Amino acid sequence: MRKITSNRREASRKGGLIPTFLAAVIISVSGLLAPITAAHAKNTFVFANASPYDTMDPQVVFDVGRVAYRLNLYDGLMRWLDNPPKLHPWLAESYDISADGKQYTFTLRANAKFHDGSPVEAKDVVYSIERILALKKGASSLFVKVINPGSTKAIDNRTVQFNLNKSSAIFLATVPEVHVMNSDLMKKHEKDGDWASAWVSKNDAGSGSFKLKRYDPAKGFLAERFTDHFMGWGDKYLDAIEFRTVKEINSRVLGLMKGDFHGADGYMPQDQIKRLVKSDEVNVSEEESMRIFYFIIHNGRSPMNDINFRKALSYSFDYTGFIKDILSNSVARNPVPLPNNIWGAPQGVKGYTYDLDKAKEYLAKVKEPLREITIGALAGYGQTEQAAVLLQSALTKIGVKSKIVAETWPVASGKMRDEQQMYDLLPLWKSTYYADPNNWVGEMYYGPNIGSRNNSWYQDDQVDQWITEAIGSTDQAVRAANYTKASTKVMEDAAGIFVYNTKWFGPYNKSVKGVRFCPIGNAQEMRWVYFE
Amino acid sequence: MRLLVLILNRLLWFFPTILGLMVITFTISHVIPADPVAFVAGDNATTEQIEALRVQLGLDRPMHIQLFHYIFNLARGDFGVSLYTLRPISEDLASRLPATMELTIVSVLVSTLIGIPLGVMSAIRRNSFLDHVVRVFTVSGLAIASFWFAILLQLLFAMELDWTPLQGRTSGWGPEHVTGFFLVDSLLSWDLSELRAAAFHLILPVTTLAFPAMATIVRFTRAGVLNAMNSNYVLYEESMGFPKRVIIWKYVLRNALIGTVTQIGLIFGILIAGAVVVEAVFDWPGLGYYAVQSIIQSDYNAIMGFTFVTGVLFIIVNLLVDIAQVFIDPRET
Amino acid sequence: METLRFLLKKLVEDRVALLGALLILLLIFTAIAAPFLATFPEDVAEFHPPNRLIAPDSIFWFGTDRMGSDIYSRILFGARITITIAIIAIGVSVIIGVPIGLVAGYYHTWFSDLLMRTSDIFLAVPQIVLAIAIAQTLGPSIENIILALSATYWPFWTRLVYAETRSIQKETFIEANVALGASPIRVMFMHVLPNISSSIIVRTTIGMGGTILTAATLGFLGLGAPAPSPEWGRMIAESREFLPEAWWYATAPGLAIFLVVMGFNLFGDGLRDILDPRIRRSVRHDE
Repeated sequence: MRKITSNRREASRKGGLIPTFLAAVIISVSGLLAPITAAHAKNTFVFANASPYDTMDPQVVFDVGRVAYRLNLYDGLMRWLDNPPKLHPWLAESYDISADGKQYTFTLRANAKFHDGSPVEAKDVVYSIERILALKKGASSLFVKVINPGSTKAIDNRTVQFNLNKSSAIFLATVPEVHVMNSDLMKKHEKDGDWASAWVSKNDAGSGSFKLKRYDPAKGFLAERFTDHFMGWGDKYLDAIEFRTVKEINSRVLGLMKGDFHGADGYMPQDQIKRLVKSDEVNVSEEESMRIFYFIIHNGRSPMNDINFRKALSYSFDYTGFIKDILSNSVARNPVPLPNNIWGAPQGVKGYTYDLDKAKEYLAKVKEPLREITIGALAGYGQTEQAAVLLQSALTKIGVKSKIVAETWPVASGKMRDEQQMYDLLPLWKSTYYADPNNWVGEMYYGPNIGSRNNSWYQDDQVDQWITEAIGSTDQAVRAANYTKASTKVMEDAAGIFVYNTKWFGPYNKSVKGVRFCPIGNAQEMRWVYFE
Repeated sequence: MRLLVLILNRLLWFFPTILGLMVITFTISHVIPADPVAFVAGDNATTEQIEALRVQLGLDRPMHIQLFHYIFNLARGDFGVSLYTLRPISEDLASRLPATMELTIVSVLVSTLIGIPLGVMSAIRRNSFLDHVVRVFTVSGLAIASFWFAILLQLLFAMELDWTPLQGRTSGWGPEHVTGFFLVDSLLSWDLSELRAAAFHLILPVTTLAFPAMATIVRFTRAGVLNAMNSNYVLYEESMGFPKRVIIWKYVLRNALIGTVTQIGLIFGILIAGAVVVEAVFDWPGLGYYAVQSIIQSDYNAIMGFTFVTGVLFIIVNLLVDIAQVFIDPRET
Repeated sequence: METLRFLLKKLVEDRVALLGALLILLLIFTAIAAPFLATFPEDVAEFHPPNRLIAPDSIFWFGTDRMGSDIYSRILFGARITITIAIIAIGVSVIIGVPIGLVAGYYHTWFSDLLMRTSDIFLAVPQIVLAIAIAQTLGPSIENIILALSATYWPFWTRLVYAETRSIQKETFIEANVALGASPIRVMFMHVLPNISSSIIVRTTIGMGGTILTAATLGFLGLGAPAPSPEWGRMIAESREFLPEAWWYATAPGLAIFLVVMGFNLFGDGLRDILDPRIRRSVRHDE
């Protein structure tokens, strides 16, 4: 400091100003010589996410890419944990199902609190389900058909009763998607009947293990540990979690290798996983997941409405080349519309193989005139483009012309609802939203779902009957048998081209421990994670 | 007098132009193949839910009614809410505008502070080695695809050499928010590590943006200086015995600068357009990327919002440039 | 004929412009002869997953891409796409923009103002953004890229022609023609246009470069022809995932774009120097 003073005296003479200024700048700027490390507080876990977190409202979006804030800031009555997934009581400590399967009574825990300290009560659960039904977004489609507005009752402070309008075997499996919100807090911030949507899109009304500290839709969110969480804490935990949006896959990979990020999404292309495995900084955990990759075929449009054409398509995909060469055997061949590892999946099925002669055989039986087929692909998801291209080149060999249309997910998902606009074929994944075979074959190939979750325009009376029975029954053996029959028939009808079931390859920094993988949530639940 | 006429003329046309812009944007954004309502409702929504949502968002009303409502609200300063997140668009715009502005302003500064002297020197030492190097550089600057240049810079400096960060505006959450300009805010709160982070994160994006802008500035400065050097006025000054150095710095440079100033509108255009690509490659949370995202997601209100903001900015800048033109070179009008 | 020979002579003298011309010819030749020059011409549509991501060697001169195709061959076929887009997009925008500029420049009524303000509307939004919006609306394909580029580029011509027309109007010979009773159309197309044509030609050549860059950017953003089209911008986008290991994947297509645009820019500069020294002096340019 003395140096500057003496320079200042000198600086009063003309010409000394510049050295003074420089000296002052250099000294005060020596703080800049510290290396730039990612600015984390110690014990903060930083996750690099592919999708942006557009909102903090847990009831308006329902996709895998943005699940982190729903899982960590909010709680449901039950929760899916571990692999194979098991349903655990969460906010509810017990439940009761009536004999007719239409009434579900949950008893809440006594000690559950919201982040603002107020207790979690039955009226909050009622508010939450009514809000879901009113907003009609996010996971609402799982509930609208079975729950009528106003039918859910708070019997007392700790007892809430759902009165379904029909018996549904999947209700319990889907109940974790009712994220319980702090009704008093929400009602305080309600504006013009918006159910507090404007406020809660950037604020926190939850009871989850972490509470929201900072949120910027362009960046992501930061949440701090909620010490009063009803599940309690062991002696090893995280102080804070940060989920950041990093759109470019290469940036996520390089960030992991540099130690800037402690975790990232687990479904990266195998090329990237190989790089991560080689890095000293990163550990990659491998788990069998439930996420199938398949081509949706528009069964309602000619010539795909002819089973012979569909069989020709099914014999035209180079399953081995795709799985072995492009995906380096990181996934398992899955020839049916259910992941091989869920109960109710048909076992030992061979399915279709890459056989151009057989394809030509079936093609010859097609009566309708052939035309150019439109194969969709998801822009930005290289694998769907590669699959489309592979199929296209094989189709050319058997004499079927095709063109590929790559569009973004918002555009594609809109077209999928419309019979005219839907592509002839579209490669896609189907993740686990709830761990029940209905999540796949029951949604994708069920007649009544045509236009919403059934984007194949496939309808078969027998399959519909089996699925309806399975949804209504509470006997797992019956349900399993029905789903087995339904998915086998769908495969025999070649209603889609079923390719693989993926594995989850979770990349984490080597110091991260305690990750609990579940196909629902994809290990983004942070409550058991800690640094070693 | 001419100036007054020009200004009045432009002001008169300002509102119809903006209106026209809004109508065109509205039409384009509503004639899209995607159904954003279906997308927003979620994969699992039923047809009834989608239609109900459509009514709720007011998107079932006829287009001209929607347009009318939108413009009416706009006049009150209400940009509407994002179709997608139900958050006010004005907030999104306000948070993203400083990011793009900071990037653009720093790029303008860098390209002029380096470009003008380079152009002058290149002109003065015409046909020297320096001149040839500069000319190669300017030609490349305008021939290189900026997204490719950005990727190459990333490849070399961020991935291989690890001298700069790979992407983003900063590594954490940034300095305490005052203006939204990270360099300014970190100085205001004297957060030196944030200042350093912000500066380092700016290096690659600014280099990418400034490169073509610099090339243009160097060209025009060089041409302007050469032009001025050959003009009768300068020859006269020389013959009168004024030292060459004085002539150059006093007259030639001023003409060159004037020429460059008139290009500001153009430079601004290059930078805003370049910002879209640069933001996409470097994951910069600015207006350009917001624009591309909203278009791809068919978020009507967001599209209209940013179009309005950039449109107004552009028109204002063009107007200022045209006014400057009148002052500088009355002959040209 | 005399002028042409004069022009060619001047062109050969200006070595830089000559380089540009050679690059352009190289592009055209490559586009035409692609099937013969390519080592694996079938790789535009066929794939060999076992050959993925091989570094440049004696068989695959520029290495292979994510589907195992030879990058060198795909770049050659990509030249066809580049040329097609550039020529048609510029052609259409000139055909639309020049007449509008002539009319707006020639007349001094509110109609001129209207035309110019309309073009202002298109110029108010950055070209790339408007092009993205149009391409997104219509769907990703080469035809739609051309449409998007034409629809956003015509205002540049209008502005240029408007300014040139206004300044030429003051010339005596135009005034004389008008005084003699020549019809406006005749004056516009027979007298004004030929005199500003050199400006237009120069601008066209330089504009080709810019158009190719914008088209590549649209391809990069995924709005161009879908996979497996060997479009240069798209190839660069595909390569990002595989950097830094597969450096050749991003470098080769980028170099191709660079050389082609450089060629048009150099040639255009040279043309400008030859055709219209008057332009050089004027600093007011929309470039």
